[in-house]
Order: sequence, then structure tokens, then C-alpha cells
Amino acid sequence: MEAKYDFEKKFREQVLKCSRCGFCQAVCPVYGATLRPALNARGKMLLLKEVMDGTIELNDELIETLFQCTTCASCFENCPSGVEVPEIIKQVRKDMVNIGTCHPAFKGMNEVLEKHTNIYAEDEPEDFERERNKKAECVFFIGCVGAYREDESTLATLDLLDRLKVDYTLIDEVCCSGVLEDVGYEINTRLAETNIERILATGAKTVITGCPYCSRTFNEKAPYAPLKEKGVTVMHISQFLKGFDFGVRTDKRVTYHDPCDLGRHCGIYDAPRNTIRKIASDFVEMPDNRENALCCGAGGGVRGAYAKNSIAMARRRLEQAEAVGADVVLTECNSCVHNLSNAKLRKQKFKIYNTSEFINELMEENE
Amino acid sequence: MKNLTDGLIDMVSFSYDASEHSHRPEAAVWPKTAEEVSRIMSLANRKPVPVIPRGAGTGLSGMAVPVAGGIVLDLSRMNQIVRISIEDRLAVVQPGVVYADLEKALGPYGFFFPPDPASGKVSTLGGNVATNAGGLKGAKYGTTKDYVLRLEVVLPDGRIMKTGAKTMKSVSGYDMTRLFVGSEGTLGVVTEITLKINPKPLCTSTALATFDNLRDAGQAINQIMHSGIIPSALEILGRETLAAINQNTDLNLPEVDAMLLAETDGYTPEETEYQIQKILEVFEANAPKEVKKAETKEEVEELWAARKSAYAVLARIKTHFVLEDVTVPMTQITALLEGIRNISHQHDIQIATFGHAGDGNLHPQILYDGYDTDQVARMEKASADLFELAIELGGTLTGEHGIGLSKAPYMTLEHDPVAMDMMRRLKSMFDPHNILNPGKWPWRGNHGSQIRF
Amino acid sequence: MEMHGYNMPEDLYYEENHFWVKEEGDLLVMGMDDFAQTMAGEIVYVQLPDDGKKLKLGKKFAKIESGKWLGKVFAPVNGELATVNEELETNPGLINDDCYGKGWMYKIKPDDKGEMENLIHGEEAIEKWLVADIEKYAEE
Repeated sequence: MEAKYDFEKKFREQVLKCSRCGFCQAVCPVYGATLRPALNARGKMLLLKEVMDGTIELNDELIETLFQCTTCASCFENCPSGVEVPEIIKQVRKDMVNIGTCHPAFKGMNEVLEKHTNIYAEDEPEDFERERNKKAECVFFIGCVGAYREDESTLATLDLLDRLKVDYTLIDEVCCSGVLEDVGYEINTRLAETNIERILATGAKTVITGCPYCSRTFNEKAPYAPLKEKGVTVMHISQFLKGFDFGVRTDKRVTYHDPCDLGRHCGIYDAPRNTIRKIASDFVEMPDNRENALCCGAGGGVRGAYAKNSIAMARRRLEQAEAVGADVVLTECNSCVHNLSNAKLRKQKFKIYNTSEFINELMEENE
Repeated sequence: MKNLTDGLIDMVSFSYDASEHSHRPEAAVWPKTAEEVSRIMSLANRKPVPVIPRGAGTGLSGMAVPVAGGIVLDLSRMNQIVRISIEDRLAVVQPGVVYADLEKALGPYGFFFPPDPASGKVSTLGGNVATNAGGLKGAKYGTTKDYVLRLEVVLPDGRIMKTGAKTMKSVSGYDMTRLFVGSEGTLGVVTEITLKINPKPLCTSTALATFDNLRDAGQAINQIMHSGIIPSALEILGRETLAAINQNTDLNLPEVDAMLLAETDGYTPEETEYQIQKILEVFEANAPKEVKKAETKEEVEELWAARKSAYAVLARIKTHFVLEDVTVPMTQITALLEGIRNISHQHDIQIATFGHAGDGNLHPQILYDGYDTDQVARMEKASADLFELAIELGGTLTGEHGIGLSKAPYMTLEHDPVAMDMMRRLKSMFDPHNILNPGKWPWRGNHGSQIRF
Repeated sequence: MEMHGYNMPEDLYYEENHFWVKEEGDLLVMGMDDFAQTMAGEIVYVQLPDDGKKLKLGKKFAKIESGKWLGKVFAPVNGELATVNEELETNPGLINDDCYGKGWMYKIKPDDKGEMENLIHGEEAIEKWLVADIEKYAEE
């Protein structure tokens, strides 16, 4: 039988290797918040198997589960059969878009990025009180969430870079559009070219990103290959801060939430923790950490398309922060900060920051 | 959250468990209380329409597959730990509580619930009760049935019944609790479970031995039984499994006939060391190729690495597999392993075996391509021969995975006609309209019907 | 009352970003109006600052979000936050269901109630402002 869809051509063996053991159910953030087996990885793989068998069609009825995956890769991490669920999901979303079956929120996101420079269709970026597009050693690339949703955290990160006397510039950045790859579309080459051109114009050899997904996009996706070819290194702020000493410490109990894009997707677990240990004497891990960290629920477009469930997922993560008695929850991703902050209950007295923002606050207090 | 669905995505996910069986239900409900379950049951009983209780759907024999359609009763949202009483040595839970969540809740008290199925991070206690789940520690600690004190059960007609007592001992009346444990959702729906819990041993010791000759390994198992020690785990990996692990990992295991892994537990290092020494003596006395004892945490993990990787390694080799759980008296383990090897050759199909030597429960994993009809046929013949072999050796079809659909056609191999008759009568007494999990077990003419494995 | 397809009670006072204000004893109650909740779609998050937070007229003091929209809430008067609607923490959709009732957002202790008079009020003024905003958003 001729394969009808690309997911089948690329991943048929993988889908069939799902032995339905259900181990993914224990770690799937979407299942954890909804207790609905159709939404975990096994439920998704079963649907794809039946599509391949021809017993069901790839159609609108499948949107609710196939577009409700944060691509956090916890399932893959725990799958005895090694099924690469996030890659399969991304591919099948493209197949669905090709046949005109897509969640309206993602169709909208693609359209927004045809016309606008950011995923929120905001027209007036915060100016962050800094000159843009100047010559500098580094470019600081903020990302949409940092620019339009967590601008206070971004401002604090920029202040920190100033305190550390880093020679950097902002640029008139546009969305890296990496998220489109996750929700059934392709990177927008017009946006990619704009970013590349503006980065290169500064003469910078290093791009520091505020968002771990932007740095993955720059490093992994073909439209951004010219950066590497021109000798530009891209790294997330957590990597950039590795070598610094900050000269401040806090007694507060600090915990760390691994963003999926930094942790499971890039294997970066230690650098953020080493930085935290430099500034916090009371560092505690949440019960699920590192490879097993529970996703905040924002990724894979879920925050945009299924906001209520997304926030419910973040609430489950914060229960863990509460259980270990944290005063401060640090993470390294604006999407995580945003979703976790939205989910925080008034009775939960801890504060949520990007690590760079927290360090800046400590240094400010110290002055 | 909505508590009722007939949506396609839910119907597909509720069509399956961890076996190769599948069938669509017509609807699914997520009840939150015993009263809701009772109302659903009396409604279904009047119709009548099939009701299939479901936990996490991790069963390996098709027990939760709605083979006759009907309504799936997904109990996973009845997930409250009602009470933990250390003084009374019990925990009261709703059926949807996940095994691992009970473990987490008992941890701070220094207690645990011993029967630990490999799916424990996901499986629900309701499912564990319905399937009488076992686990690695079966040899020393028994299985789920040894810990269930009391149940609340909703009967097919909607009446709610309590069985047993919340005491450590009770000989009051028939043991209805035991009847429901392992009944696979065919007699009633369990809505509350009272479990006996144990203080958790603080220490373990771990050792491993490999044997060039299967008979030496078998003799070692027998002598461990004589040694006066009951290990908390005694695991075996067969040659085919070791070879498969070597092909797919960098563990570099010796490719021998058998590897035995022993763990002893207790409350002081002296206690566990004394026990493991006895086992090491037995290992040494039976021509081992190699004997290792773990001295550090890391070494413990190293020794367990092969055993823990077995399932995942075997799951990746072919697109499909059947994981069996035949169980024999411990004296017959080597005969069973040899027999499995013969069956594998005879039907030209890959079977790799590992399992719990300490309680005679082995897991032959039959690997095949489910889209190749010839391979499927050979797999089915191999399964049938395997069941016959287990019964010939004085064993049982299933040590911990259950009958479900997979082993229904073979039940009469094990149970005599009188026992089968009494079981059928019990079923019709509790469920005269046959609404609870119908199509499972050899009732109502199911026997002999060609259910695919 | 019904006004160009939106329910805009004429006895309320309105902050220009479509938040309503009314007197309740010594306090002012504040919430989102029907026009805003309709435009926003399903509300998924309302920031509920701690009681006692100082409010400065015209300054942002909270955020509100639907799926892809972020709204800022500006203080309609000078004063301090007396209390917030804690129900919105777990059920922000109350704003969509009942924006003038169960979906109220904040209670404010004003420094000077007289400042309310600077808000949009009176049927005629409300209608003029609403019509202008309907046109403005239709263009976008």
C-alpha cells in the first residue's frame, strides 16, 4: 500500500513500534492536566496507526489531540520502544496543514507572521531604552515572548548585561518563526533573512538569545545556516553567563525548572544549575527534574491553542515548587516564566524569574 | 471537565490496551463516585449494554479491550488516597490512584505497598486489584491478592457491596475479597480498596552470576530455595535476551546460557549481607562463569542495567511482540527455558526470555512483524505450544498478566471441567445479563472461538 | 442597556480601555465591559495583585490575557487595591459569562471619589465613545 502522508513515509516503523505500554501516560503533561488517555502519546500513536491502516481518516476530529502536544519529549525520554513522538507530531501537523486540516490558532499564527514581525501581531515593540542596530561584539536577541509578554524580565536581563559590561546591541528583530515548524508550517524565510541581515550588519560574532527556542532555531534550522557560515555563534543566555562571577548570594530557597527546549531538547542541565549554585546557598530540586522535568505546558503552540489546559499544566509544575518549599523558582525561558506566572495562585508566595533577572535583582540590592 | 464522550479520538484510545487486541467501544464515561458508578451499572443492566471497567489500560492480555462494544468506565479520575493509617497498617484508596502515587504518599512514613508491577508508574491500583498484579518482589512479598483487606464493589445490578474487613485478620464468611481480586472486571466494579501496607526495608544487597550451562543456573535456583534465604528479587535472563541486549546497547554482557541477579533486603547491612553471602555461596558452588557483588550504589545500578533494559531492548527489535508470563514451580524453570528454546526453533520465530526465577514466573517475549501473516501464524502456534508446555510442567498459563482475551482459548488446558463449570456459574450469578466486560474468558461459547492470540 | 450590539449599562462609569467602575459603599468596583470581553474572547488569565497595592491614576497595575491577546489594566483613580475577585484565579471565564456580575475584578479604595467624574459616564457620552471604538477596531 502506497503511503499517503509524509509522516507515514518517514515514521511508519516508529509509529508501529509503539507497544502501547502506556508508560508515556505517567509523564505526559497534557494527560496529567486532563486525565484523558486520547491526549497522551499512546493515544496519538494509536490514531496514526489507524490512519496508516486506513480505518480512520486524518481529519478535523483529530485536531484536538494532534495539535495538543507541547512537544516536551517526556514521552520519548521514557518510551521503552524509543518512539520519537515530538518529531512524528511535527510531521503529521504538516501533513494536516497540507490537506487543509489545522487548528485555527495555528493557521492564524502563520497568517500573522506573513504580515507582522511577531507572533502577537503587536505593532509597537517596547524600546527597552537602548540603542539598536549598533556595532557590537554581541547581539542580544530577545524573542517574541520576552519582547511582548515578559518585557520586565527582559529589561532586567539587559541591565545585567550592562552591569557585566558586555558589549552588546539589540537589533530590530523579527520573530525567528521557529514555532511555525512545530505547528504544521515552515520557517518564514523572509523573517529569517531579515534577522540574518540585521545580525550580520552589527558585525557581532556572538548572538545571545533570551529564548532557548530561538537559539535552537538559529542553530538547527536550515534557513539560519548563513549565520554559522559567517562565523557567528549562537547561544542561549544561560550558556553565555556560565563563566561569570556575580559576587552576590541569596539565602532564599531556590529551585530550578528545566525548560524543555534547553533540557530534553539540547541536553543542557548543568550550566543553569552551576550558575544558580554560585548565587544561592539553599538550592533544592523539584521531584521531577532534569530529563524528567515536568513541562510547564506552554510549548508546541499549546499555550496559544489550548490556554486553559496549558495553565492547568503549569499549575501541576508549581505544586512541585510549593512542595519543596521554594521561595524562588528560577528558569531559563520566557515562555516558561510567562505560563508559570499566569498559573501561580495568590496563596503561593514564591516568585518566578528567569535566572538572569534574579541575579540582576540581587546585584541591584547589593549596590 | 466533561465526564462523557463518544468522540473518535477517545473511542480509538479506549479500543486498546498493551496487548495486540482492539475493538471500538460506543462511549466512555469518567465517574467520580461509587454512586455514579452504581447509576451507570443499573442503567446498563436494564438495557442491557456492555460495561468495561478500565484503569490505565496497561494490561497485556486484552482485559480492558471492549471486544463487544459498549461503555468504557474509565476509573482513573477516582484518584483520591482516602486514608493512610500507619497504626492500623493500611491504606484506603480509590481505584484510579496510580501505584507510584501511593508509593510517594507512603514514603514519608517509611512504608510501602510491595507488589510492584513494571508498569507501576502508570498502572492504577484498581487495575492492579482487577488483574491481581505481581512484580519483581513476588518471591518474597507475594502479589496484590496478599494485601487486599477490603473492597467496595458495585455489582452489575447497581447494588454496592463491601467485602472483607479492615482488620489484619478475618475469617468471617466466604472470602469474597479474594474472589474479586484478579476477576478482571467480569464480576463487579471496585470503587474503593483497603490495602495492607508494609514497613519498607532500609537496605539491600545485590549480586549477579552468569552460567555457561543452563542446568547449572537451574541448580543454583534450587539451592537458593534450600539455603533458607528468600531473596527480595531473583531474576533470570536467557541467552537470547543477553544477545539482544548486546546487539542494541553497549553493556557488553557475556553471552551465556543464563544470568541470575539476586537482591536481598532487610533493615541492617549485616542482615542483607548475611543473606547475599548465602546466595553467593550457592552461585560459586554451581560452576558460574562469573560472579559479581555490588559494593557501591553505582555498582548496584550496573548489575541491574541488563535486567532493566531487557523489555525496552526487546520492544525495539520488531514492530510487534507478545509478552507472555507463564509460571512453573521453581524446579521446572530450566525445563521451561529449554522448552521455550525448542518452540522458538520449531516455529522459526524469535523468543527472548527473562523473568522472575524466584517465583517461577518467566516472560518469554515473542518478536514478530504483525503485518506479515505468516509470522503472525507462527507466533500464534508458538504461543499455543508455550501454554501447553507450561501446563505439562505443572504450571499455570499466567502468573501476573491475566487471562483476558489472549489466554481465554487455553483456560481449559489448566482448569478441569468441574472448575470451569463452577466459574461459569459464579459469573452468571453475579452478572446474569453478562454486561460486565463480556467476551472475556471462555464464557458463553467464547471457548474455542478463534480469538487472535 | 443594549447599545450597538453590546450590553453597556448606562449607570456605570467607564475607563477608556473598556473597564467599568461603580460605587459600592466606600469602595469602587471595577470590571471589564461587554465590548472588551467580546473583543478579547475567552479570558484565560487575570493578574490579581496583592491587596493594598498603591494605584496611580492612569498607571498600569495588572494584566489580563485571552489566548493570544494581552490587555493592560490602568488605574481609573488614585487609591489602593482593597480586594480582588479570587474566583477569577481558577475561573477567569467568569468575565465572559457575567462581566458586570460574578466576573467583577477589583475593588479599589479611592483617595478621592470625585475623580470618578473624569471617567466616561452618561448615556450620550458612553454611546459616542463606544461608536468611535467600534469603528476603530473594525478598521484593524
